[in-house]
Amino acid sequence: MTQTTTIHGEKISLLRVLGPGHVWALGVGIVLVGEYMGWNFSVGKGGAMAALIACWVAGLLYTCVAMIDSEVTSTVAAAGGQYAQAKHIVGPLMAFNVGLFLVFAYTMLEAANAITLGYLIQTVGGMMGMTDAAGEALVLHDKPFIVLTIMFLAWLNYRGVYATLTFNLVITAIAFLAIIILFFAVKPWTTEVLQHEELLTGLPYGWIGVIAALHFGLWYYLGIEGTCQAAEEVRSPARLLPLGTMTGIMTLLIAATMTWFICAGLMPWEYLGQAVTPLFDAARLMDSMPLMVLLFIGTIFSTLASANGCINDASRAWFSMARDRYLPQWFGAVHPKYRTPYRAIVFLVPVAVLFAYYAPLDQVITFSILSGLLGYTFMTFNVVMFRRKWPLGSIDRGYVHPMHPLPALVLLLLCSATYFAVFLGYGTQLMAMMLFFIIASLWFHFHRYRYVRRGDQFSMPWPRPQGDY
Amino acid sequence: MPDISTLNNYQLIEYGAWGLSLLLGLWMLFDTLKTNMTYSEDLLTSSREGEIDDALVIDPPHQGGHR
Amino acid sequence: MKNGDYVPPRQSALGQFFDSMFLLALVFAALFAPLYLGLASGGKTELEVADKTTWSGLGQNAVMQAGWEKLGYTPETAAPLIISRFDYSFDQLALGVTALVVIGYFVLVVAFSKTEYREVIAERFGRRDR
Repeated sequence: MTQTTTIHGEKISLLRVLGPGHVWALGVGIVLVGEYMGWNFSVGKGGAMAALIACWVAGLLYTCVAMIDSEVTSTVAAAGGQYAQAKHIVGPLMAFNVGLFLVFAYTMLEAANAITLGYLIQTVGGMMGMTDAAGEALVLHDKPFIVLTIMFLAWLNYRGVYATLTFNLVITAIAFLAIIILFFAVKPWTTEVLQHEELLTGLPYGWIGVIAALHFGLWYYLGIEGTCQAAEEVRSPARLLPLGTMTGIMTLLIAATMTWFICAGLMPWEYLGQAVTPLFDAARLMDSMPLMVLLFIGTIFSTLASANGCINDASRAWFSMARDRYLPQWFGAVHPKYRTPYRAIVFLVPVAVLFAYYAPLDQVITFSILSGLLGYTFMTFNVVMFRRKWPLGSIDRGYVHPMHPLPALVLLLLCSATYFAVFLGYGTQLMAMMLFFIIASLWFHFHRYRYVRRGDQFSMPWPRPQGDY
Repeated sequence: MPDISTLNNYQLIEYGAWGLSLLLGLWMLFDTLKTNMTYSEDLLTSSREGEIDDALVIDPPHQGGHR
Repeated sequence: MKNGDYVPPRQSALGQFFDSMFLLALVFAALFAPLYLGLASGGKTELEVADKTTWSGLGQNAVMQAGWEKLGYTPETAAPLIISRFDYSFDQLALGVTALVVIGYFVLVVAFSKTEYREVIAERFGRRDR
């Protein structure tokens, strides 16, 4: 590898400007929207109690993900996160697949956010009770706002990462505070407002419903692993990425449990299981205008923060792949002034818009969850291979996760259960997705890989891997 | 966000949203084309993975940067 | 770059464009095919209830009823939500095939990756005498 420094004018690279707050905001910002919408579909799949069990089981799954991911990431300082891990540890085709998982998971999540935001504006538009001259109720359509959300955030991302993620930090913090305020407003220490005893109905589907609920249970946390997408732009990745990821998962565990507690104590599960904006509905049930406004703002901000982080992560994954020529190298360009992967950002805009415009919400969420799930499955054998090829002590690790290989085994077990959960009800999508990845893999191995430089892909200053690889 | 209660014509807001989307989209497209033509392709695609270690560290408030 | 390293061909602009379009088409096919073929929605069944027109007939207690009413529902409009149930009966064969495809996919990817990875390491660290 040649040693080159980054000098303005000759070579350009992404900017290393982000601090710990940004990492937290990128991780939590993407995910927090999961408490404002989507998680409650797990109530529909198994009942309210099943959703709580799924929430905690998924929390365990994500704790494993965060631990494993933090260890590997604390040694891989490159944009693309898991993509760069796969490239160095498993091999090029795996990396290509992981890159696609990331782009899919985040672009679909971005579309889901835009849909929710549009829906909420439409709902509030309806609640305003505007009428036209003839007395007909006016309808505020969601489509223009769906498109505007994507366009505005893409534009923000185009203009630079620092402003984008600082914006995210502020709106994520407000959205998180909104949940906490609502939690205290329902007076959880009394049964004045929350009536769990009357509303919880056991397990309407029995235990198979609990497994089925795991499918959307992932949604409470999906995307937290996005923190390491920013590795190349964080000031000291080895220390900050594990810190940001771990505090992120703790924030989410707290927020997820509170959200469940509020919603399950306020509305019948049959309604909750299909609501688009459950926390906003909870505020509506409280008969308080300030709370409604607060949760309206919280929902809007959480969807914006999430979509914003998604554009950031998806474009960086796409960019990293193009830089290695896994994708056309044209996408591997950095904007000389804004220092962002501008072509990748622009290219992914129409993709997100098309999905947000035409596909229903639960489908979009399912595709996002499936892509995430494939990525978590990859992590299980990735970390085992990592420890084999570079045992402890052979390279510098910023963080070492405890009890290896137990977290990997737990993760694999939970992933298998979740595949089964997706299979229950969404088996066709699972098959379509697998077919897509198989065709894409064959295309990469037999066609695309010929444009890739072999040795250059290994960019880490690690020694030769040990053992038989 | 526009204050919905003061506007009585939802279509106006919708057209506004469409127009703003179009404007932002065109801005990005135009800037992409301009950048593509102003700089050489080799410079634009000169970023390499992992090469920024110990490189320029930029302090955002003062965009100059230091080593 | 050392002698003997693989030198990839330069891809033409047209080739790059074609590859991007291929991937895009594949993505849209995978995501919209289940929707258009009408295969997307999972099976649903309906719960038997005593009476679809009253809250008690739908098995709702007073607290639940208050919740529904505040959300703007009547027994008639709430009934479809209350009686709709997912159908979790499944075909063992379909499950087996799906499991095989998922496992097969990972085996395929790891196996191909392994051969490609050997080449990467050989170029990066030099070939090893065996």
